[in-house]
Amino acid sequence: MRAAVWLIAALAMAQDAVSVRVVPEKVVLSGHGASQQFLVMGRYADGSERDLTESATLRLSDAGAGEIRGGRLIASRDGAVKITAEAAGRRASAEVMVMRSGERKPFSFPRDMVEILTRRGCNGSGCHGGVKGQGGFKLSDNGIHPKEDYRWIVEGGQFQVLSGEAAGEKRPRIDRANPEQSLLLVKATMEATHGGGPRFRKDSDDYRAILNWVREGAAYGEEGSGAAARVTRLEIYPGEIVMKPGEKQRLLVTAHYASGATEDFTHKVLYASNDTGVARVDAGGVAEMVEPGETAIQVKAAGRTGRVGVGVIGKATASYPRVSANNFIDEEVLAKLRRFHIAPSELSSDGEFLRRVCLDLTGRVPPPERAREFLASRDPDKRRKVIEALLDSPEYVDYWSFRLSDLFRVSIFPVGINPKWTQDYYEWIRDAVERDRPYTEVAKERIGAQGYSPATRHYLPYLVIPPPENMMGEQMRVFLGRRFDCAQCHDHPYEEWTQDQFWGLTAFFGPMFKLGGNPNSVIFDFPNGKELAADVPSPVDLRVVHPRTKKPVEPELLDGTKVAFAENEFPRGKLSEWVTKHPFFAEAAVNRIWSLMFGRGIVDPVDDFRSTNPPTHPRLLARLAEEFRRGDHRFKHVIRLIVSSRVYQLSGEANETNAADRINYSHALPRPLDAEVLLDAIADVTGVRERFVVGMNRGEWRGGKAPAGTRAIQLMEGDIYATPFFDAYGRPNRFSVPERDASPKLAQALHVLAGTTYNDRLWAPGSRVYEMHRRGASDGEIIEEVYLAAFARKASEEESAAIERLIAASEDREQGLRDFLWAVISSREFAENH
Amino acid sequence: MYLLKRGCLSQTRDDWGRRAFLRAGSLSLLGMNLADALRLQAATGTAKKGGKAKACILLFLEGGPAQMDTFDPKPNSSFRPIATNVAGIQVSELLPKLAKRMDKLALIRSMSSFGDDHPQAVHYAATGHLHNPAMQFPSLGAVVGKELGSANSMPPYAIVPRWESGRQYQEYFRSAFLGPDYDPMLVPDPSKENFEVTDLSLPKSVSKAVVENRRAFLEVVDRGYRTKMASAEHAKMDKFTQNAWEMLLTPGVRDAFDLSKESQKTREAYGLDPVGQSLLLARRLVEAGTRFVTAAGFHGNSWDTHSNNDAGHRDKLTPPLDRGLSTLIDDMRARGLWEETIVIAMGEFGRTPEINPALGRDHWPRCWALALGGGGLKTGQVIGASDERAANVVDRKTSIGDLFATVYKAMGIDWTAEYMTPVGRPIKIANSFDDATGEPVRELF
Repeated sequence: MRAAVWLIAALAMAQDAVSVRVVPEKVVLSGHGASQQFLVMGRYADGSERDLTESATLRLSDAGAGEIRGGRLIASRDGAVKITAEAAGRRASAEVMVMRSGERKPFSFPRDMVEILTRRGCNGSGCHGGVKGQGGFKLSDNGIHPKEDYRWIVEGGQFQVLSGEAAGEKRPRIDRANPEQSLLLVKATMEATHGGGPRFRKDSDDYRAILNWVREGAAYGEEGSGAAARVTRLEIYPGEIVMKPGEKQRLLVTAHYASGATEDFTHKVLYASNDTGVARVDAGGVAEMVEPGETAIQVKAAGRTGRVGVGVIGKATASYPRVSANNFIDEEVLAKLRRFHIAPSELSSDGEFLRRVCLDLTGRVPPPERAREFLASRDPDKRRKVIEALLDSPEYVDYWSFRLSDLFRVSIFPVGINPKWTQDYYEWIRDAVERDRPYTEVAKERIGAQGYSPATRHYLPYLVIPPPENMMGEQMRVFLGRRFDCAQCHDHPYEEWTQDQFWGLTAFFGPMFKLGGNPNSVIFDFPNGKELAADVPSPVDLRVVHPRTKKPVEPELLDGTKVAFAENEFPRGKLSEWVTKHPFFAEAAVNRIWSLMFGRGIVDPVDDFRSTNPPTHPRLLARLAEEFRRGDHRFKHVIRLIVSSRVYQLSGEANETNAADRINYSHALPRPLDAEVLLDAIADVTGVRERFVVGMNRGEWRGGKAPAGTRAIQLMEGDIYATPFFDAYGRPNRFSVPERDASPKLAQALHVLAGTTYNDRLWAPGSRVYEMHRRGASDGEIIEEVYLAAFARKASEEESAAIERLIAASEDREQGLRDFLWAVISSREFAENH
Repeated sequence: MYLLKRGCLSQTRDDWGRRAFLRAGSLSLLGMNLADALRLQAATGTAKKGGKAKACILLFLEGGPAQMDTFDPKPNSSFRPIATNVAGIQVSELLPKLAKRMDKLALIRSMSSFGDDHPQAVHYAATGHLHNPAMQFPSLGAVVGKELGSANSMPPYAIVPRWESGRQYQEYFRSAFLGPDYDPMLVPDPSKENFEVTDLSLPKSVSKAVVENRRAFLEVVDRGYRTKMASAEHAKMDKFTQNAWEMLLTPGVRDAFDLSKESQKTREAYGLDPVGQSLLLARRLVEAGTRFVTAAGFHGNSWDTHSNNDAGHRDKLTPPLDRGLSTLIDDMRARGLWEETIVIAMGEFGRTPEINPALGRDHWPRCWALALGGGGLKTGQVIGASDERAANVVDRKTSIGDLFATVYKAMGIDWTAEYMTPVGRPIKIANSFDDATGEPVRELF
């Protein structure tokens, strides 16, 4: 049924094509049996392209040059040949050059056997490629370690996570004496029980290839002539798919070798869809759209992964609105929305914009007088002006110091228990924000912190230097947005990070020492090539030991560069240079800033960059990173760009086309206010400040109370100011890399209804509503003032009238005003940034 | 000479060697051989369903009690062993009341865990996993809460009293990626005169009429916004608000937290200290429908007797333990709760066999003891054994994962289950040595 629908659709399209073309248009095939898959793409009047390969006829200019099957040319003779495609009554052609067709490549286990194991899904992370393998048989994920795979197959034995030794009985997975009885074959064909089910049949090419390999002695064969033969990247054509349900697209996969050569891998990879409810893909690489939504198709081969984003659109909007772009952010976001036929919402109202930008730049709701002034102003440039004023405000420094304190984990216990240290560390951060210091410098100081530097203090939680692998993991997560931690005990299950890379990076943190007693201790690295004193151990003892090989590890960068140190050189200093120059660094930074403005990162979660978690807008991310570098790695430049964009300033009100969109920034999504910001906002609106009391029974904390007037975002020792409000609203403890969870919880609901924060400040002397009531303000005046303070807007006439009626119907006016104020601070409009 | 420090003890040359050694192979050097591991793996394939216990109370002995001065008396203790009401089982003379109730408890004298200092050890004891700054693991209480769900609008999991300092420990007892629904409710110290669970009862100023009035105002104020911004979060919050009203208006919930419903005699029998009152409150919560209570009256690393170990154990620590736990056993039995509630008394580690120059004992994770009972477990027995100084396990080495598996089995929870973290890492809910799945302590069933 579905096929029939598709066929009709294809025919309809084929009739409309204005031109067709063949992909690739030019290709060189080298070696015996070399082949190339071709696509025939039709172009339509509206500029879109559709895959017509299935209905196209392909012909060779010289029929003896090779054979064409399903759009795939298998070359058999050297020379130039032209391939002509006919589809939808139109023609196009491509040129092929065939070379060395008589030359057979010598057998290579990494290339020839691992390809089968990958394509058949044997070495996927869900099967034998998992951390511990499956059923006692371990393969490296996606064949990233072919030598080890060879050993497990030919020698047998059971993999152990933290040891290089094999466990259990060594039973080879091949049988040289009776090749047909090889476990590798009888399992995959289900002649023996196999938890993974049948992988191929006895009459398949793959079965024969493995059988012949075993018969011929199961040699490892050629390494693949060194680094040049390493596949560095898998490229997929097309680079993005946007289609309607039922439509199909054949994918073309090209492997790029380190040598610069390319090869068609369309039939040598494993295909998988991230969400088969949105799009499916078959083993041969034909993708079929299922339901509207967004997903990605992954391909795997030769230890590499590639992916292509797939958008399945509903119905195309007939009249797509014209939307102007304020800057490149809008260009990127709007272009994708257009491709996906999603219309952006209208520009936000002034009140909506003001509240949002004040919360995002200063962590505060705008005071009512400010809101009133902004709403009344007719200055066409008023949004730009308010952005500049906010960027220059002391409140900006408060708020972004708070943001960085969160990320850098400023608190008492994680910073060595000594209040002075916490204060120094915080002041160091605050100074960086105030002067808008280049983030590269901040990162270098934090990663490579030595001596008495305030930034060393985060290396002394509980007065103890943490294990080097923990310190490394945190720095990489914070500054490169990558979670290498999974590679601590085993190769990363989904990524190309290996355990060796993890420990190579960890080795930079090996020589750290704490010198001197508390509270005057300093951090330093054991000087390279030095011995401190006769009774002090030699630096050899400080080297990080690899948990599997049990051998000391030399510092090694992610790209495999081993770092040599001059005498007295400090490893972390060198590492910090590398980190801040790495392309990941700027990407991770701008992605974090972006997520604070939109509630989600372009890569989300913000510190989980990996190939299986791709950016929603790769070019946008790259351009933001480029701007960040160009602007000397200063936050304000990027923040200004973001809040000045139209995309940032869109309304939260959805339209017919974009209501379901959560990731393309077609409209503003409401974000719950963070605990500290919400508490400050409640204090601002009610006019009753929170008094923060140290929840800890020790005399050394300044009188046990934060100074009067301290805002929640100004607390640098969050962990000692324990309030139920903070716990309920998801303030992170800063003991580990913080993740905020401000999502609704039962404890919040209870606190709103029965808690002190919401009940004790409704009618206090000096508070906003109480004082207005005392001064004889009318209901209307009070309603307007509270609305401006809480929502940066005036109540609508309808709202105002309804509220006045409720006040009049209350037991007395006082009670009515109290309950009104409670309702305002308990509302979702108040508790969210929208 | 420089004083080199890394950790709370000064390092000697040997320590450095040991550090490298430990880092290199701590997991494979646990003394468990391959045969053990395989046996464990094989055993988990068998019956995975178990008992019908409905709740669990963990009396947490924060700081780490000295095993030889409590549940595993040895010659290197200053205190005498005394006979109990079970022939052949002795406990320290510091636990006379519990000695009379030994038939209601089982002692595991072969516990072995990790973490040389409190944060790491508490994390391990609470979750069964080594501390990892890149990950958060759900605690035993959160898993039980998730598996069994709440009853009678009661919070499934509570900690009483909450930590006022040292909040990092509290973090370790949380739900991690299981989400806020399974985070423990944090209850203040019930032994304090002004004890009140504020958010569980409406303030006096909020009458029924006020509640109605506020609902009406909120409806008007939020209507416009909610029409404009439909959001799944709003629906979730509304659900919580509904639950919150139920909790606030259900007398049972409020009453469960109201210790004034208990007679003074009962309160005194438990002990008027934080330990006794938190155990009493734990009993009330469990009675009302809570699944797991961490009774944490021993806050501030109470049992951390680096100096004057003997005096501390004798004068300050064992009396509330002996009294509180004994009363809990009697009270729960009298109320018919004992057979459906597991009670565990344990710290995060034990203490050194030697007495240090400050007359104290230091941290000792490799061999320690705990007591447990109720919930249909077979009691009146000792499981495992340590050497003559309670320094090393000599028989039946038992992990935190084994303990967790025991609790799960007694509650009818599949202890071999794994949860998937948001980043796709499987986490065993009962995690034993060397990555093996914990095995229920068979003698207890």
